[in-house]
Amino acid sequence: MSAAPAPELVPADLHAHLMSEAERIQGWGEAAERTARDEVNQPTINNWLEAMGVDNPRFTAGEAPPSMAQVWTMYGLGGKPSEKDPLHAMMRVLTDAGFTAVLGTNCEQSYDRYLTVGERVRVTTALDSVVGPKATGMGVGYFVTSRNTWYVGEERVATMLFRVLKFIPRGKEAQS
Amino acid sequence: MSTALTTLTVGDRLPEWSLPITPTLVVSTAIATRDFQDVHHDRDIAQAAGSKDIFVNILTSTALCERYVTDWAGPDVQIRGIAIRLGAPAYPYDTFTFTGEVTAVDDGVATIKVVGAVSLGDHVIGTVTVAA
Repeated sequence: MSAAPAPELVPADLHAHLMSEAERIQGWGEAAERTARDEVNQPTINNWLEAMGVDNPRFTAGEAPPSMAQVWTMYGLGGKPSEKDPLHAMMRVLTDAGFTAVLGTNCEQSYDRYLTVGERVRVTTALDSVVGPKATGMGVGYFVTSRNTWYVGEERVATMLFRVLKFIPRGKEAQS
Repeated sequence: MSTALTTLTVGDRLPEWSLPITPTLVVSTAIATRDFQDVHHDRDIAQAAGSKDIFVNILTSTALCERYVTDWAGPDVQIRGIAIRLGAPAYPYDTFTFTGEVTAVDDGVATIKVVGAVSLGDHVIGTVTVAA
C-alpha cells in the first residue's frame, strides 16, 4: 500500500503488520451499517439552527442543512462503534502498536441532495487507506482515511472522507 | 447579502465574517451536532488530555463553512460539498475570522475557498462547492 518506510521511523516488521491489518480491514468494504436513531426531524434541525446562528427559511420548511447529514447517524451520548467498524478496528490496531494519540486532519463531505424531514438515513463505513509512517510536527504516525456513505433506502445521499493522524506523541517514543 | 452565482467571477472575495468563540458556542454546537465527546464540553477533561481548554468540534467547523458561504450566496443555492483541512484548535475567548474567495466558476457551479482563522493560525481551510 505504501513504499517501504524509512527504518528509523517504524521497525519494518511493525510496518508490515500494520499494512497487513489495513489490507484485511479494507477487505470488509462498506461495513458496520447502522440506521439513524431518529428520522430527519425539525426539533433536531432547530437545535442546530440556533447553535449555528442560521436562519435560512428552507430549514424550517422541510429541508435539513446539508452538513447535518453526519449528525443523524452520530452515536449519541455513551454510544460506541462496533468492533466491526472498519475505522474503529484500524484505530485499535494502531493504538495497540503504540500510536495512541489521534488528531482529525481532513473532512470532505459531498451531498447528492438535501435531506427532508421524515427521511431515515443509514450509514456505512469503509477503510479507504492507511498511509505512513510520516514524521509530523505532532509525532510519528499514520494517516487513516475512512469513507462514510449515507443512504435513504438504496439512494446514496451523502458521502464523507474523514482522515485522522494516529500518532505516537512526541516524547513518548521510548514507551512505544 | 445574497449573491447571484451567475455574476460571480474568479477572484471575487466574500465579506469578512467574525464570530466570537464563547464557551456557549463550543458546547451548544457540539451538542447540536450530537457530538458528546467530553473534550468539547468538559474543560477539566480537555485540560487533563493536554488541551488548553474545550475546543470546537469538526462538525461545527464544517457547519460554519456552510453558514458563511450560504449567508453570502443566498438561501436558495445548493451546497454540493464541503472539504476541510483542520489546523489550529478553536478555543473559547478566541474569535473566528472567516474570509473567502471564488476560485472557480464552471457551468453554474462555483468553488469557494474559505479560511476560518483564530489567533493561533488557520483553524479551518475549506473548499465549498455551490450550485445555483
